[in-house]
Amino acid sequence: MTDLPLWASRVADGLVDAGVGEIVYVPDSPLSHVVRALEAEHGNLRATIATREEEAVGIAAGLYLGGVRPAVLFQSSGLGNAANALASLLIAYQIPALLVISMRGEEGEWNQAQVPMARAVGPLLAALGIPAFALDTVASAGSLVRSAVALAFGTRTPVACLLRRRLTSQDPASGGAR
Amino acid sequence: MTRLEATRVVRRRLTTEAVVASLGHPAYDLHAAGDRAENFYTWGSMGVASSVGLGLAMAQPNRRVVVLDGDGSLLMNLGTLATIGLVAPANLVIVVWDNGEHGTTGGQPTATARGADLALAAAALGIQRTATVDTDAALDRTLGEALVDAGPWVVIAKVRESGPAPKPPRDCVFIKHRFMAALGVPEPATAGQPAEGPQAPAPRSLPAGSRRPAPAED
Repeated sequence: MTDLPLWASRVADGLVDAGVGEIVYVPDSPLSHVVRALEAEHGNLRATIATREEEAVGIAAGLYLGGVRPAVLFQSSGLGNAANALASLLIAYQIPALLVISMRGEEGEWNQAQVPMARAVGPLLAALGIPAFALDTVASAGSLVRSAVALAFGTRTPVACLLRRRLTSQDPASGGAR
Repeated sequence: MTRLEATRVVRRRLTTEAVVASLGHPAYDLHAAGDRAENFYTWGSMGVASSVGLGLAMAQPNRRVVVLDGDGSLLMNLGTLATIGLVAPANLVIVVWDNGEHGTTGGQPTATARGADLALAAAALGIQRTATVDTDAALDRTLGEALVDAGPWVVIAKVRESGPAPKPPRDCVFIKHRFMAALGVPEPATAGQPAEGPQAPAPRSLPAGSRRPAPAED
């Protein structure tokens, strides 16, 4: 098992510190570090793998209705799959959730198929009225996650944290500090 | 049996269970069979009702959670059965109204009309307890087990379309507030709750006319 990147520990700490009680996710490489950090450092926090992003949003809605604060983790390519559940379930019913979206299709991308959906992430979130915060430094990652969770559950709306490539591509061995 | 008759069988069995109804006819019939605060009516997100039920069952392991889904809507999100099989919440009961058609949108056929078997699919995806029923007596008997014995359960109920039913409350936030309060997890600063932080608007009362049958607009 490789060392945990520092950014992933900070994101995981931020989720736990802010009172997130369950994680639902669709796998992605950078997100795997966040889930590992949660397992390693916060073992009692359950992380459930969904088959698709819209399903993950539905599970999160049920968790919130049952009294638990959920976070939903998926890759930028999956935001389109989640759009209707975000709109007609979370936003319509004022059900909050933290969305942690791992970005593909940014600087350094080699896969053409990842770029169009990456381009759509900002406009799509804006069209839905979902506040979004970019996480691009280790130093601010934890505090941004905590304040995004506070905004989501304080005002009852989904809020997105975008894990930028310049954050998630940092070398674990160096601790990724900058 | 019609879906409304079958829904009334479910309603007679309910005590403290949380119920999530898929949008359209399953939700309308649940309301027609007897409105209650523990009913969560979805008005959108077709296919996601069973996933909402899974999340609820995870959050409230000591409460039975019943989902009223449809064959067409479950087929939109069949993967959630695999997730339910994996998580295996013992307190989750999914009832699928299987009429072989998209009844809410005009009766377009679904794959179950041509032999697709959702009980077999559920079993293959890891659901421990499955059943297929086609009479109200069999449904009632199966529910008697499913609301007590460890699940997760998937109950496929073969039903016929019923006529138009009165629609549930249309105010999504009202539905949520009422539901969460009934489940013992009210949001802060809603009606009857102490304020914490900025005062949230109190849930609005039931919109006038929401209990009258309305012309189809689906």
